Amino acid sequence: MNSGPLLFLGLFATMACSWTGFVLAPQLQLGGLTQTNTVVVGDALAQTYPLPQPGEAHAGAEIYRANGCAACHTEMVRPSALGSDLQRQWGLRRSLAEDYLFAQPVMLGAQRVGPDLANFGRRSDTNGIFLRLYDPGLITRGSVMPPYRFLFETRKIGLFPSPEALVLPDQDAPPVGYEIVPRPQARALAAYLLSLRQDGYLFEAPPPPLPKTNAVPTNAAPAAAKPAPK
Amino acid sequence: MSVTVSPASTISSASLPSEQASAEAWCPFALLTLFAGAVLWLLASSLLGLRDSLNFHNPALFAGEGYLSYGRVHAARNAAMLYGFGVPAALGLGLWLLCRLGRTQLAGPAVVFMGAIFWNIAVTLGVAAILCGSSTGFDGFEMPAWCAPILFVAYLMIGLCALLTFHQREPGPLYPSQWFVVGSLFWFPWIFSTAALLLLYVPARGVLQATTAWWYAQNFDTVFLGFAGLASAFYFIPKILGRPLHSHYQAALVFWTLALFGSWGGAPEGAPLPSWIISLGVVGTVLTAVPILTVATNFYQTVHRDVNTLDADPTLRFTYVGLIFWIIAGAQQIVSALPGVSSITGFTWFGAAQKELFHLGFFALTFFGALYYIVPRLLGLEQGAWCPKLLKGHFFLTFFGVLISYISLVVAGIGQGILLADGGNSFADVMRRTMFPVRCIMLGDLLVALGTILFLLNFAGVLAAAFRQCRAERKGRA
Repeated sequence: MNSGPLLFLGLFATMACSWTGFVLAPQLQLGGLTQTNTVVVGDALAQTYPLPQPGEAHAGAEIYRANGCAACHTEMVRPSALGSDLQRQWGLRRSLAEDYLFAQPVMLGAQRVGPDLANFGRRSDTNGIFLRLYDPGLITRGSVMPPYRFLFETRKIGLFPSPEALVLPDQDAPPVGYEIVPRPQARALAAYLLSLRQDGYLFEAPPPPLPKTNAVPTNAAPAAAKPAPK
Repeated sequence: MSVTVSPASTISSASLPSEQASAEAWCPFALLTLFAGAVLWLLASSLLGLRDSLNFHNPALFAGEGYLSYGRVHAARNAAMLYGFGVPAALGLGLWLLCRLGRTQLAGPAVVFMGAIFWNIAVTLGVAAILCGSSTGFDGFEMPAWCAPILFVAYLMIGLCALLTFHQREPGPLYPSQWFVVGSLFWFPWIFSTAALLLLYVPARGVLQATTAWWYAQNFDTVFLGFAGLASAFYFIPKILGRPLHSHYQAALVFWTLALFGSWGGAPEGAPLPSWIISLGVVGTVLTAVPILTVATNFYQTVHRDVNTLDADPTLRFTYVGLIFWIIAGAQQIVSALPGVSSITGFTWFGAAQKELFHLGFFALTFFGALYYIVPRLLGLEQGAWCPKLLKGHFFLTFFGVLISYISLVVAGIGQGILLADGGNSFADVMRRTMFPVRCIMLGDLLVALGTILFLLNFAGVLAAAFRQCRAERKGRA
């Protein structure tokens, strides 16, 4: 350990070991991943999965990145053996490498100060997202999420009120004659959040097995399942 | 084996030949620029952290200001901590140790000085850009794409001078600190260039970006910062106690096992990856128990007869406490990697607690300990130049600040993990119930910031004393 070059070679070998294992090998295994077909459930057709993000969602990913949303939100659902993610209805199945093929940048996050967003698009709508961004406390009482007011604009109502204007309770309402509308950034962010859905069943995470029974599936006889309306 | 370090002469330009004098005069200048920049960035990072912890008292604060919103400040705080504070601090410590242990002068001090200036300009621009929304979105690698090459070139300027300094050392056996410094010097450009290429310039496909970012963050902390801090501990503790390091063989074991196993892992349990990647990371993390236990026994054997004197010297006190925090942070990392534990503590404040302890508790305290020794010697002053009251205040404020932040984050993390493990508890409800400890980190951040301000006051005082001494010498000569 007294020779500089030997020290260098040793360090290089050690680093190469780690680099091969954690950079090169995953690249060799996952670098060639492509779109695939979903596992067929029932009489549905197999579909290509995942689909590329629409353009506005891609612009929204940039807003998500710029504002550091990943500091508080993860975008990965753990398998049921690890934590209660699936019990919380954060996803249909665990997240897989395939789910992120079109994400750029991939922001999986490191901590959950807020809920996981991997499937946020499955459980929200544009209006709800705008309200959450404008004043998170409106939807979740006592939320520590900061309001993102700079993504909205308070402006004088023109000839007609904007169909996008937020409907807010009194404490948040703008002065009379004014309305609060989302800026393009907020619209893009909402499009991104709505595009977050990991709902294709894949080979590694197949759909839950159907219960073994001889009975006719309930969806084949919908009338029998529901009580007749009075 | 004994410590082969003699108390080398303090660097002062009083009695040197004139052509050497200019290079000599640059050396303290270059190192002090690195150190002062690092401390100022540490303060900036604490202040940014303070803004973030305010969010848990009043989330609506700064709601209208994009550049002060929680997520951006969080990224800026990380960048200020890792690139503003961590890298220059590691480089400055490394350069000084290479000069001292190689009994040589700093090679190319003017280049080091320019490198330090470039680095700090790049970090300033980068942090400002992050606040304006240019963060890359990767935890631990936030600096925007145009900033990374400037950082890389500035690093190379300083790093090449460090290698030249190492090369022109006096012949003889190497001391463990020299291995650690050389290790950290090489490690950073390797991981930084890999991450910059695969995350920013030729982005890897899909989830490979996440694996690269995790691998980078793991290597940056455990190996790069870990080596730099340990180099300082391996030098100062035996040196100030006047007692040889118990075993150089154990130090070599620490060096190689930490480089080998500490560089594995980083991916959280349950990540959307083939499970061998995560398992290999867990194996590596658990095997870091070898360097941790070896450091513990090696230092215990070195100091156990002098435990009472640890309080006598500020460098010793800071370094010793920093080393204990390193052991705790490492033990926590091992525990939280175990599969049974990680499913509970994963994605909670528990991980943030470990990072806080590693960066502030271990690295910052070790760094400050070294500064209390290095700075007066660079300026040709006695160690008594430091104001003892400010010094004491700095130690206790930083120590308790780190402790308060750490304990509250651990409590919040464990509480959150246990409550969330039951799928019946609603997420928002769990967050509300664990909010009290999270609010306490504001106190910790505040104490650390105050401590750093006390250090800066003390530092300014020492610089002023050196300036007065220099002027008196010049008058005496005239």
